[in-house]
Amino acid sequence: MTLSVHLKQLGSAQRVLLRDLRFEVKPGETLTLMGASGSGKSSVLAAIAGTLHSVAEGAQALRFDGTITLNGMDLTTLPTARRGIGLLFQDPLLFAHMTVAENLLFAVPPGSRAQRLQQVEQALADAELAGYGERDPATLSGGQRARVALMRALLARPSALLLDEPFSKLDAALRDQFRAFVFEHIRAQNIPAVLVTHDAADIANPAQVLELPAHV
Amino acid sequence: MTYLRRPFAVALLLLVGLPLLAVATQSLRALFDAAAWTSLINDAQWLPALGLSLWTGLASTALAWWITAWLLAQGFVRQHLGALLSSLPVMLATPHAAFAIGLVFLIAPSGWILRALSPWLTGFDWPPPWPTTQDPWGLGLIVALVLKEIPFLLWTAATQLQRDDVRQRWRAEHTLAQTLGYAPQRAWWRVVWPQLAPRLFWPLLAVLAYGLTVVDMALVIGPASPPTLAVLAWQWLQDADLAVNARGAAAGGVLALAVLVAALVCRALQALAARRVRRANGARGRQASVSYSLPGLWLLAGVYAAVLLALAVGSVAGVWRFPALWPDTLTAQAWLSVWASLDTVGTTLGLALASTVLALVWCVAWLEVSPRSWDRSLRPVLYLPLVLPAVLWVVGLYSVALQWRLEGQWLGLLLAHTVMVLPYVLLALSPAYLGFDPRAAQLSDSLGHGRLAFLWRVKWPLLRRSLAASAAVGFAVSVTQYLPTLYIGAGRFATVTTEAVTLAAGAQRSLTSAYAGLQFLLPVLAFGLAAWIGRPRRFRVVSA
Repeated sequence: MTLSVHLKQLGSAQRVLLRDLRFEVKPGETLTLMGASGSGKSSVLAAIAGTLHSVAEGAQALRFDGTITLNGMDLTTLPTARRGIGLLFQDPLLFAHMTVAENLLFAVPPGSRAQRLQQVEQALADAELAGYGERDPATLSGGQRARVALMRALLARPSALLLDEPFSKLDAALRDQFRAFVFEHIRAQNIPAVLVTHDAADIANPAQVLELPAHV
Repeated sequence: MTYLRRPFAVALLLLVGLPLLAVATQSLRALFDAAAWTSLINDAQWLPALGLSLWTGLASTALAWWITAWLLAQGFVRQHLGALLSSLPVMLATPHAAFAIGLVFLIAPSGWILRALSPWLTGFDWPPPWPTTQDPWGLGLIVALVLKEIPFLLWTAATQLQRDDVRQRWRAEHTLAQTLGYAPQRAWWRVVWPQLAPRLFWPLLAVLAYGLTVVDMALVIGPASPPTLAVLAWQWLQDADLAVNARGAAAGGVLALAVLVAALVCRALQALAARRVRRANGARGRQASVSYSLPGLWLLAGVYAAVLLALAVGSVAGVWRFPALWPDTLTAQAWLSVWASLDTVGTTLGLALASTVLALVWCVAWLEVSPRSWDRSLRPVLYLPLVLPAVLWVVGLYSVALQWRLEGQWLGLLLAHTVMVLPYVLLALSPAYLGFDPRAAQLSDSLGHGRLAFLWRVKWPLLRRSLAASAAVGFAVSVTQYLPTLYIGAGRFATVTTEAVTLAAGAQRSLTSAYAGLQFLLPVLAFGLAAWIGRPRRFRVVSA
């Protein structure tokens, strides 16, 4: 399952953010996209996930020209929901109206209830959060919330994972732990991942780093 | 400044809490009258009337609620909430009574719809003897209520969806649900709606209470024999016999109980639905590609346009034979007599302006100084006028006005209007006001500005749109007051609303239309003014 991205052009009606960006990520590997604020890092992820339209509206609305394929299948025209691409945001975005377990259950594909609940329990255990299922997400610590968000993204069994600065809001100690936790799971799931960051310490594999040009 | 905050909040609370509680206790005291209850129970009409009230109130609320949710779903998913909401102010401003009067002109046997179809399709040369205007099943009332409440619910939802803090987060959560494989529609129903719906509980309750207890609209388009319980109670309240008045108050008590029970049932149903949504089976839903929301909205706007056109044409119609689509003669007679009684308009405007200013000033002061916990726990008291049936509320209001020697006085009317306007203004203003980013105040503090400078130069200018819109809502609410105006004014004051509703029972089509049109025009002007005041600033240099 290889993710290949070729963006000929990405931008709004008013300005071009990126030209001719091309990369490929193999299963279990993580490509790191770096660049200054406003260089279009997050927009690249939005283009891959198919969520560009919700980034900005009106004259600022973004569009791109190019192709995105996953394991040879063209995703470009598919809606977000059918792409099988998970996205981890800067904020954990746990749903406030659901318990921790319900948040996870939300991601589990349809199936028998017992099996689905069992997957949730397994995910909680993986995240070292066994017994936290009935908690209100707001009562968790920052690190715990981040782990739940990752488990939720993985429970939907994505074919690729995009990480939009998921470490930037954690403090230094938690950051290292959570980073290791994320990369370990990406390897275990054997899916390609793209990480956006502006912190060199976040780089997953120094051999796979793309620096986006700064804008003037 | 901060040490004065709590005393100031207490003072504000007393200022509004005392009259509210006085009215509420007087209303409830009227219920401790055994003779009134016996007389109510022995009355042959009250049970069927209660049945009609429950049927029309519950059916209209449920329909309005689900249609609103569905329109919002489409609007949110297709990202044209803006378009969905742009036509709202006019619909929102249309008073219930004016809308009902116009709707009657459309659906009556001699109304426009049948005129358009006669005689070529129906073969009618005379209006048929159909009970389409005051049908005994209350269907006309239900349609009128649904059409009138959808804009209100949409608008209260919009005030939530357009809060800066909430909008971005829900948008992000909606996107996230899609990356988990949920179709956009399904993602809305699972993630956004369950968080939005509980926030609409008070508006929903207001719609429910209104539907169960409405009088002016039911007088125009509701069933007549038996009428709904609210209308029956109102007839009894106006009787010369004190014992019959007491029976009317008791009927108001029954309605209050009905509202309470219905509210509890509503809450339970909401909780149940929320539980089911959270425990759903994980099905992702199908990708729907067609959007019906804009057509749905156009339909709604079309009905409003037709209603208003019917009022406009009706107000200048002279002779108008049946199947003709256009009046045979046009006359300015009705508008001339409106002009002749200009003080009616003056009374309406004066009351609306004064009560709106009072309510707005109070609400801003309250939201600014009251501790958040006080505000939360006192909301039920402040919303009392929204949920108590108007027929019961005016009983309490009247006895308070008697005690304070305000009955039949302009000041008494002002009090009556202000206590009705205030909860609506509070409802309209709170989301934006409370959602205001608290960091702005800290920032302003750190720049060395005082509290007042911050309010005048930063907070209120930024909230200009919400402030203006809330004032327009208050104005519209005051203009449409019917029961309190008649009852507290002791018949000495006429407003465009009392004139329109009173005339609707008669046969003067053009005069009724003129007053109903005016009743519509005043709030619309207020909303137009609010939109103009709240328009976004145009920067001279758009981009570098």
